[in-house]
Amino acid sequence: MSEEYVRFCEASEIPPGAKKHAKVNGAWVLVCNVKGRLLAVSAICSHQEKPLFTGRVRNCKISCPVHGARFDLETGEALELPATKPIATYAVRVVGDWVEVRL
Amino acid sequence: MSEHMIEKRQEPAPGEARYPGEPSTQEIIARDRVPAPDWVRSESYEFLGDADIPIDRYIDPEFAQKEFDHLWTRTWQFACREEIIPEVGDYYVYDIGRHSFIVTRVAAGEVRAYYNACLHRGTMLRAPGTDGCAKEFKCSFHGWTWTLDGSLKQALCDWDFPHVEAEKFALPQARVELLAGFVFINMDENAPSLAEYLGAEFLSHINQWGLEDRYTYCHVSKSLPANWKLSMAAFMEAYHVLDTHPQVAPSNADANSQYDFYGEHVDRFISSLGVVSPHLKGQYTEQDILDQFTLGDSSVAGDVPRKLEEGETARQRMADIIREAFETQSNTDLSGVSDSELLDCFSYTLFPNTFLFPGISLPMVYRFRPDPDNHRRTIYEVFFLRPVPQGGERPDPAETVYLNDDQSFTEAEGMDPGFGAILDQDTENLILQQAGLEASAKPGITLGNYQEIRIRHFERAVDKYVKGAA
Repeated sequence: MSEEYVRFCEASEIPPGAKKHAKVNGAWVLVCNVKGRLLAVSAICSHQEKPLFTGRVRNCKISCPVHGARFDLETGEALELPATKPIATYAVRVVGDWVEVRL
Repeated sequence: MSEHMIEKRQEPAPGEARYPGEPSTQEIIARDRVPAPDWVRSESYEFLGDADIPIDRYIDPEFAQKEFDHLWTRTWQFACREEIIPEVGDYYVYDIGRHSFIVTRVAAGEVRAYYNACLHRGTMLRAPGTDGCAKEFKCSFHGWTWTLDGSLKQALCDWDFPHVEAEKFALPQARVELLAGFVFINMDENAPSLAEYLGAEFLSHINQWGLEDRYTYCHVSKSLPANWKLSMAAFMEAYHVLDTHPQVAPSNADANSQYDFYGEHVDRFISSLGVVSPHLKGQYTEQDILDQFTLGDSSVAGDVPRKLEEGETARQRMADIIREAFETQSNTDLSGVSDSELLDCFSYTLFPNTFLFPGISLPMVYRFRPDPDNHRRTIYEVFFLRPVPQGGERPDPAETVYLNDDQSFTEAEGMDPGFGAILDQDTENLILQQAGLEASAKPGITLGNYQEIRIRHFERAVDKYVKGAA
């Protein structure tokens, strides 16, 4: 795992309640703003490798729109069937006007 | 005339007797400063006989199967709150027995309940007990896809399925009706409407409670170690308060509670709080009663001065405390809300398996479902509903907390500790009652005419569905 933080997007692009996905060094990353807190996870569901990033975020968890799996945004843990494997989580920080993630 | 002639006392008719010498619930409520509305002052009891109820319904797995076949398929059940599916595409999976429904919001005012099974080879489209948001329902096996309105959008390799006519492959639905922020479903196409099923009198009650303006502050689920009907009956009477909840009796008019039923599917009790149990009369001062008062949702009240003035009653003081606490919490004026609505425990059963507690200090909902694999177990849930603060944002409904057998209800975050302790006490009885019925030489249970009328009324409805024509 790289020690280096990489720029993801401008902080103003992810206000509270919003989320944004982008490819970072070959990995699809999703950053969510949950009531002012930024959390970064894989944008791809661990169930059948489908896009997770349009999923609904509620109570700091994200639901996959494709088959309904759900993941904890803090830990990446798979909370419900059909997913049984976790998704990756990434460190995230704000430096100046920029959101940065560490893969 | 003989001096020894004893004057024959007029015996009350069966069902008429009440705790001797004690005020009725209505008499207690009539003394309050802010008077109660019609629905509180309503009385609706009738003697329904005193025959024992046969116990096979609690201990025989075949009876449980008959319930799955004839009762759960033909009654209106509370599937979820509207607040958990606020936006188009939101869904909640409601499971009952082997059945499962994806309860989905398809338009602003419209919710549907789709049978949760792919029409290709049967795979569930969404896992049991889950909720989420979708733009379409795609099966994880071969990708067959339905739109939100239930139409077949895609059958992969449709060239191989010339025999599949899309119109015949729409997702089947159960009936859905919305009431007071609750989504009800019924698998029976021929069932009466929810309004007819619940009855006009009860509808006039629920339409005054504003439950649609509440949010789920706490939701706890636990498996109870008894048949679902025993679990429900544990909450249908205040007769058990003296022995099972001794900490409550000093401030609860348990044995002079009021019992009513409305039509076939609704019954209730009103159990007044802030007054001492008739069993303990004379043992507690008004100050003692106030000190002992167990508030259902006490974190709202916080630390309040509880020293009574001369001549002030515990009941009146508690009503004032609760009024102020909830006014602050919900940012509303409650001066027009009666003392009784703020204070008292109102427990309604909606057949088959929902309890509503419209009192403001104990704002709960219970749901009971039979464990599909074990007739000796119940999936029990308790919801605490709080008023949505006026002018504020509606909070998200709470995540469900699942407790296992060796966990106390008090361990659930958001659960009021006094109330959690009460639920633990009820659970302890249920373990013994289920086992005791299986060990018993007596083929029936015996019920009190008045205080246990809700149990009799409920079992009468069970019989109607289980024994009636399929």
